[in-house]
Amino acid sequence: MNQVDALALDAQDVSHRYGDTVAVHPLELSLAVGDTVALLGPNGAGKSTLIGMMLGLISSDSGTLTIDGLSPRQAVARGRIAVMLQDTGFMPGVRVAELVRLGERSYREAISTTEALRLADLTDLADRRVDRLSGGQSQRLRFALAIVANPRIVVLDEPTRALDVTARSEFWKTMQRFAGEGRTVVFATHYLDEVDQNAARVVVMDAGRIVADGSPDELRAAGGTSSVRFSSREPVSPEAMRALPGVERVLIAGDMVTLTSGDSDATVRALSVGGLAWHSLEVAPPSLDSIFRTLTDHHAREGAE
Amino acid sequence: MLYLFWLETLRMLRDPKYLALAVGAPIGFYLLFSTLFGGGRTVPGQLPGVVEIAVAMAAFGAIWSAISTTGPRLAEERQIGWIEQLRSMPIPGWQVLTAKLLASFVTALPAIVLVCLTAIVAKGASLTLGQWLSLVTLIWLGSLTFSAMGILLGLVLPAELAFPASYGLYLAGSALGGLWVPPSVMPAGMFDVAVWLPTYHLANLGWAVAGGSAPPLLSVLNLIGWTAIFAVGALTTFRRPRLRRRTKLPT
Repeated sequence: MNQVDALALDAQDVSHRYGDTVAVHPLELSLAVGDTVALLGPNGAGKSTLIGMMLGLISSDSGTLTIDGLSPRQAVARGRIAVMLQDTGFMPGVRVAELVRLGERSYREAISTTEALRLADLTDLADRRVDRLSGGQSQRLRFALAIVANPRIVVLDEPTRALDVTARSEFWKTMQRFAGEGRTVVFATHYLDEVDQNAARVVVMDAGRIVADGSPDELRAAGGTSSVRFSSREPVSPEAMRALPGVERVLIAGDMVTLTSGDSDATVRALSVGGLAWHSLEVAPPSLDSIFRTLTDHHAREGAE
Repeated sequence: MLYLFWLETLRMLRDPKYLALAVGAPIGFYLLFSTLFGGGRTVPGQLPGVVEIAVAMAAFGAIWSAISTTGPRLAEERQIGWIEQLRSMPIPGWQVLTAKLLASFVTALPAIVLVCLTAIVAKGASLTLGQWLSLVTLIWLGSLTFSAMGILLGLVLPAELAFPASYGLYLAGSALGGLWVPPSVMPAGMFDVAVWLPTYHLANLGWAVAGGSAPPLLSVLNLIGWTAIFAVGALTTFRRPRLRRRTKLPT
């Protein structure tokens, strides 16, 4: 807490492949303490694999990943990071409070079961059998099992999937109550409307790469204009890009460069005579569709997954 | 881990299937068999029927208790994602298996004791207190062999298969091991099979004690041997990571 530049998460050059399929290309990602980060991307973008690597459930094929300066498994063991995974199950035949107490007993700096149940809005269901919970209630139990750890970093993999609108908004209220104390929160989601209210930073993934990284405002600003996107094998200087005609904003993530431009024709003309060895250039027309679509729509064209 | 063990035990005692099959069934069978066949001595020089059958049914209950509280549960937990939930928490896999093994061990005891009590109360089976205590202890310890077997089955079998396969193996092993038909009246060919089975040797420990002898070394060695085989199988399977992960996490 005292170190200003303390990193909650530091991933350098991590990657993972399943057999022949690359799930995550080598990528870098650092999260500062207290960041609230939305991890956005279509199915198959690599979000869950990246989350698995943060927890040490999936090993990285390369690079290093530290959580609070520890290896992922150490961080899990010490309760520094806790996760709410998708669709995990519960030990059949036990009650809600009993399962949360298992969490309380397992984590070193745990909060009390009573407190975790209160935060997850499960107090009334404490004596319910875990096999008799509705989808939304199960999700709250997964949440309780994560926060009982009193973690500095909490990771949520699509926490509101399969919840109805009311349950979703309830969930985020609960989440905000919990996160308001300098904790780092990372959540993966498909729902763009959740991002604005709950994340100060958005990391967009697509096909195993980070294709954009910025505040919701920065990303939205990019959404109302044309975007020009290309890949480059050599480093690209943001200054040079900003100097191109029409360019309003520059997002660089790995070898992926996305320019938002008020005049995409002029931008592309300038790019084509510039010396940069770019490839796979794409121009997306202005659209009301979100930046999210713009950043990830090559998926549909390539027909991948 | 203590708390995990406590939860494992608690849920078994709450499970009507456990109570019916591991505790109720052996008592029911005991009353049935001992009423039908318990009148005389099964073979000259051998045990009274009511005692011989009590030992067989105590073993029968202990075996199912041990297998059912490990195998089908573990397979189900792998499928529903509980094991994955545990993996995301600071609870190492060996603790998960140990807690399950211990809970399975503890819940095998009522199955054994209740059959013996039924034999004493309902059928007047009489042995010295020392004999009762040592045969209960031996069968109880021997049930660990079947807990190890259950854990191996639970790690290997898919959830849909785990219950029927475990139950089938249990019934076949019990029948061939002489728990239903006393080994002394078995056809020779069947007995040749029985002497290799842990089911036979588990009951044999109890029969020996009830007959006033020391527990046969061969039976002890047989059970230890099977336990070692199941344990090595389970550990090898458990260390292969692709089986620990329920399914590939979606990319």
